[in-house]
Amino acid sequence: MFWQIFLFELKYRIKRPATWIYFFAFFLLGFLSTGTGSTPATEKVMHNAPWVMANGIIIFSMVGMLICSAIMGVPLYRDIEHQTRNYLFAYPITKFGYFWGRFFGSFIFVLLIGTGFSWGSIAGAAVGPALGWVVPERIGNYGLWNYFQPYFAFAIGNLLLSSTIFFALVSLTRNVKVIYSASILLLIGYFLSSFLVSDLEKRELVKLLDPFAVNTFLLETRFYTPFEKNTLLIPLTKVIVLNRAIWLGIAILIISYAYWRFNFQKFLQPEQVKIRKNKKEKTAEPAPILIRNVHQNFGGRQTRAIWWNLVKIEFLNIIKDNYFKAILGGGVLFLLIDFWIGNTYYSVADKPLTVFLMDYKNYNYSVFIFIILLFYTGEAVHRERNTRYNILNDAMPVSNTVFFLSKLSALFGIAFLLSNIPIVAGVIVQTLKGYTQYNFGVYFTEMYLLSLPGYLQMVLLCFAVHSIMNNKFGGHGVAMLIWISMFLMRAYAMMDYNLLFYFYTPRYMWSDMNGIGHFLAPQNWFNFYWLMLGALLVTLAFLFYQRGVTGGFKERWRVAMQRFNGWPRALVTLFFIAWLGSGAFIYYNVSYLNNYYTAAETRSRTAMYEKTLKKYEDLPQPKVTTVLVKADIFPDERRVQIYAKIFMKNKSGEPINALHLLAEQNIAYSILYNGKALGYTSPLAYPYSAFTLFKKGKDTMNYRIYNLPVTLQPGDTALMEVSSTISNHGFVNSGLSREIVKNGTFYSGGLPSFGYNQQMELESDEYRKKNGLPVKEYELPQHNDPKGIRNMLFNDDADLIHFEAVVSTTPDQIAIAPGYLQKTWEEKGRKYFSYVQDSPIDYFFSMVSAKYEVLKDSVTTDDGKKVNIEIYYDQQHPFNLSRFNAAYKDGLKYFSKAYGPFQYRQMRLLEFPRYAGFAQSFPNTVPFSESFAWVADFKKPDDFDFLYFVTAHELAHQWWGHQVTPNYTRGSNLISEALAEYTALLLTERKYGRDNMKRFLKGELDQYLSGRANEAKKENTFINCNRPYQWYYKGSLVMYGLRDLIGDSTLNKALHEFRDSFALKENPPFAGSNDLYAFLKKHTPDSFHYYLTDTWEKITLYENKLIKATAKPAGKDGYDVTLDFSTKKLYADSTGKETVAAMNDYIDVAIFGEETKDKDGRKKINPLYIQKYKLPQGEKKITLHVKGKPVKAGIDPYNKLIDRIPDDNLGDVDMD
Amino acid sequence: MQLSITNLTKTYPNGVQALKGIDLTIQQGMFGLLGPNGAGKSSLMRTIATLQEADGGSIFLDEMDVLKEKEAVRKILGYLPQEFGVYPKISPEMMLDHIAQLKGIDNSKERKQVVGALLDRVNLYADRKKNLGSFSGGMKQRFGIAQALIGNPKLIIVDEPTAGLDPAERNRFYNLLSELGENTIVILSTHIVEDVRTLCSDFAIICQGEVLRHDDPDEAVKELEGNIFTRSINKIAIEEYRDQYRVISVQMKGGNLTIRIHAESDPGIGFVPVPAELEDVYFYQISSRMNVITL
Repeated sequence: MFWQIFLFELKYRIKRPATWIYFFAFFLLGFLSTGTGSTPATEKVMHNAPWVMANGIIIFSMVGMLICSAIMGVPLYRDIEHQTRNYLFAYPITKFGYFWGRFFGSFIFVLLIGTGFSWGSIAGAAVGPALGWVVPERIGNYGLWNYFQPYFAFAIGNLLLSSTIFFALVSLTRNVKVIYSASILLLIGYFLSSFLVSDLEKRELVKLLDPFAVNTFLLETRFYTPFEKNTLLIPLTKVIVLNRAIWLGIAILIISYAYWRFNFQKFLQPEQVKIRKNKKEKTAEPAPILIRNVHQNFGGRQTRAIWWNLVKIEFLNIIKDNYFKAILGGGVLFLLIDFWIGNTYYSVADKPLTVFLMDYKNYNYSVFIFIILLFYTGEAVHRERNTRYNILNDAMPVSNTVFFLSKLSALFGIAFLLSNIPIVAGVIVQTLKGYTQYNFGVYFTEMYLLSLPGYLQMVLLCFAVHSIMNNKFGGHGVAMLIWISMFLMRAYAMMDYNLLFYFYTPRYMWSDMNGIGHFLAPQNWFNFYWLMLGALLVTLAFLFYQRGVTGGFKERWRVAMQRFNGWPRALVTLFFIAWLGSGAFIYYNVSYLNNYYTAAETRSRTAMYEKTLKKYEDLPQPKVTTVLVKADIFPDERRVQIYAKIFMKNKSGEPINALHLLAEQNIAYSILYNGKALGYTSPLAYPYSAFTLFKKGKDTMNYRIYNLPVTLQPGDTALMEVSSTISNHGFVNSGLSREIVKNGTFYSGGLPSFGYNQQMELESDEYRKKNGLPVKEYELPQHNDPKGIRNMLFNDDADLIHFEAVVSTTPDQIAIAPGYLQKTWEEKGRKYFSYVQDSPIDYFFSMVSAKYEVLKDSVTTDDGKKVNIEIYYDQQHPFNLSRFNAAYKDGLKYFSKAYGPFQYRQMRLLEFPRYAGFAQSFPNTVPFSESFAWVADFKKPDDFDFLYFVTAHELAHQWWGHQVTPNYTRGSNLISEALAEYTALLLTERKYGRDNMKRFLKGELDQYLSGRANEAKKENTFINCNRPYQWYYKGSLVMYGLRDLIGDSTLNKALHEFRDSFALKENPPFAGSNDLYAFLKKHTPDSFHYYLTDTWEKITLYENKLIKATAKPAGKDGYDVTLDFSTKKLYADSTGKETVAAMNDYIDVAIFGEETKDKDGRKKINPLYIQKYKLPQGEKKITLHVKGKPVKAGIDPYNKLIDRIPDDNLGDVDMD
Repeated sequence: MQLSITNLTKTYPNGVQALKGIDLTIQQGMFGLLGPNGAGKSSLMRTIATLQEADGGSIFLDEMDVLKEKEAVRKILGYLPQEFGVYPKISPEMMLDHIAQLKGIDNSKERKQVVGALLDRVNLYADRKKNLGSFSGGMKQRFGIAQALIGNPKLIIVDEPTAGLDPAERNRFYNLLSELGENTIVILSTHIVEDVRTLCSDFAIICQGEVLRHDDPDEAVKELEGNIFTRSINKIAIEEYRDQYRVISVQMKGGNLTIRIHAESDPGIGFVPVPAELEDVYFYQISSRMNVITL
């Protein structure tokens, strides 16, 4: 029996076009992603590398859930749907044969379809390079197993899991709709596990719990270097095997349970509908008498009443649907979780500001909204037809318009309902968290003016598609296809011209400081534009609205033409004009007032810049010595006007004949040279974008060459006066342009710089090759490059300068520039602030203007210097001021003592809008983003005070960066960043204790390892570092580790000496990474030199691991603990290829007692024993005696060394 | 009131020609529509009920152009399709109330009365609060009848209304229809030929999209009076008889076949004259188009 049913199922499936369409879809996904190189592979990784294949296969086998639901849901349900159960029941079929025959007959095809991605990738790898879709170097030569190993290891399990779930659900519930909610639940499960991943400490759990092993795979391989991604098949590590075993077991359990519960006869019996019990007296009531002359009314009022009634019915039909409730419930659950947890920095949540919540609602809730609107639009449009009630309904004397509009209105009602939920949920979460600045203006504007139009656009498009398609599944298919193809085009084909992507608008962001600001207008325009298109589509769909029996295309066309009269015609015209008109206005803003360039166009412009102007790179240019700025900020117009006197000197030793000035494209400026206007030439003009249709000529680059009337001889000085205007016209496609805003201007440009800027060049070698440029190995010159050591890293236009500024703004705002405030005054309705910087600073300044509250304080350092502290904050964010203040006070005192005197008499901190999320250190001024730390909700004593840490980091830059300015050579940025990171870490450790550093160090290590795993070029040694993951994360680890070996005071002494030799040098040479290295070497005893070499000159990784720790009691309150551990050291090359190195290195061995809480309620780690051992490679067993009960033990437990698998260093102690 | 159908044609997208130039004039009263499966009855009825477009021809209800003024037609239409669905989780009372509102009965009291009375007349009053999903086939059909009769329709189109009804319910329905059918046009299709004779003053036989006969049923029967003969034959002999006579129907009885033939005069040899029935008219007509001898 099994075989007959199995074979019948095979024959049935093989004839279904859907089977082959699914297979082909997966084939195509593999083919296109590999063939066109649209994979997540970074530049040094092959598009068909083992890791990339595994990634694609695992993710798409999860997505394959959809196909499992389509294929595995039907084999049993088919007999219910087509009523075949009525006679099938009568055949001699066994339960075994029926159940398993149907299951395997269908599952075989799921397995087949699952191979589609692999076959597609093989084909893509073969065809892609030949057709020139992908660079041949990015396609590796791999065998068949490479494409199928992940299929066997992961995909089969995933497909089996989804298949058993769907098959079991239908067999148990006899309902195919349940599959909807099952897919949703699986999706929720997946979201949840992804959600937990963000938390470092829950990752081990996630690795086991992810049913599709997506996170397991990503986490297990997250430190894979390009070399490893290219060469290693996915190893079946213990946790991967365990994950697979768990979920395969669950799949088998599910299907066995379903089989056990499956009752063949019951399944095929028709459903018994519960009969409602009636109240007897009601039924017994005599029936009324038939009246012959009822009054019928078909007037306007009745029509409206009918419409309203139909709207209510449809609305209730949707919201009473159990699946709707389930999906919405899932959405609300996620909304609440997202609102509750929000964004965290170092596991510390932010306060639930309304402006944040409005971002969070887009994390997961919007996915649910999308699903709801997509599916329920289809349900509503096809509701009558699905129950075959349409044949009655359509004969009713109700106009098409009323039927059509009632459905649409009900869906609008659903959209409206959905847009209210975040408001309610938000207020609840805020109230529960005790945060009462509800900010309803933000809620209402966001939900009703910004989000709701988007939901309506979704409804309109889906409604039009479903009405025209006139087939529910066809409609869903087409609607999904539209959304998915738009998503893919944006995500992988890098297309982002919003005017062409239905429903998309420019980005925007709420800020407490600046509200919605200038983002509102483009949102409204785009929303109007898309609503008009949606309305147009729906009106056109109305023409094709099908009533009664479905006719052929010709007939529908004929009917549509008949209907295209009267108001539909008027509306089509109206919507069409409104759509085109608003589109034209948007185009005018995006591509005429502003210039839009695609990503590829931007790259080709960058390449042109390099090709045309690189020859000027080494041209001598003067250096700025003094800058006197007069800047007027017009926040409401989003404009800044600058007049600057720039005194320059030829410090180059060569005569200068021409000034080369480079400014951003949005700066309009003119200069006077020694009081005279000069003519200039512009050597480079770009072609306009393909999207720019109405502009003639070329887009002249703001690179000018001024030939000097008199050669500027070495040592000569000159004065340049610059008048510039920076203004924003209309709006741009991306929506950003964040610097000059209504409240919270933070601008650090406005003046032209000198000459060719090497840092603007194209970085990626692949793109360089595509654009005809040579590969670029290093950005910066070698350590002792004579030109390099004479220039500063951040700005080669000046050495240290003298700076004065008069900044004006509107009277309600405070304008801030570097320097000491001399006076303020009002004049002609504007407020002026005059600043003088009386000591030299680097040529790196910003202007800030906003409505501020100010906290003033001061601190006197040990050398008796009084420093004024000023914190400029938005009145809505007074929460964490004392923490900022404490960091400044502690830092100013400690850094002055440890590294050398502070160079200014003031230190300021300024809040700026969250459009950018960083903090940046300017001379005695630190702008600090609104979203970052100001509103962090520090509640638990164990919360890592990242505010203190980051503030200390920025303060430390006053020494490392502003006192000691890095030169323009390889790796010199570590002077600024690694030292700031390390000294801030030290300050934080002084305040919060050494024990609390472990989590931080682990975080830094994690970031370093993931950084190098995603390296697109090559990893440099630390001394030549060129990436943030090196100078921040590796930097702090390397310095912290060194401190651990040589001690605080020795390291501080080295840094102090280093500072002394370079601090505030007005003339070159400036400091490079090799200079710092020399000072460290000098102060490090010979026995630790291996550590310096390993960390600075090599890429060194450890694989230290605790194998086992056991303890037995010995003596009073004492234990003998035996540790069994292994050590290994590896050197990696720049691609990540490792070789084992000989070692005899110092590594901590430690035993810990029970954790306790200190007096502040903070977790306290209690080491019973910690000692450095000099260890060679290999396994080792040592026994130690400790007082107190050992709980955990391990090797390098604080992650001071760079360990590839940091999690296995520490383990529980087993008691004998 | 008079319904005039002129040269109505309809071809489905799959090429099936459902209506090939139907011409019919239907007066007030009950009009019966007979024809084999797939003859085009339902297509014709759906077209009159505004649910299907015609390719050509016209339908006029007095001055009203049925094919164009759909909405006006729907206001006076009562339609019971051959197959329809209902919302399973709603009671017939609620559903009918909703339909009554769609049919323009804006007074809720009146609506309640109309709905209650109709439910009573189709013998569903006791079940009015049950869910439609729990209804048997016959109950659902009666619900369909009730909804078609809401709002005093002037044009009632019922497509096989008695399918699934027991004989008592069938009678009840016909009585109701006769009562409400005064001063209205009722178009009724059925496979129970005798019902047409008892109920209708006018009828038509449609086959393969064409009208074969349009007449008063009694007239039509009278025409065949004296021309119908029957006899019992051996099963094997059927081909022989078919060649010789115009066999219009066969029936198996106790291993033998009873055949009815049409002949101008008594053929003798075992044939017995029988009184003509409307069914003979029906078979006589359609046997000219298709093989009615189905064994």
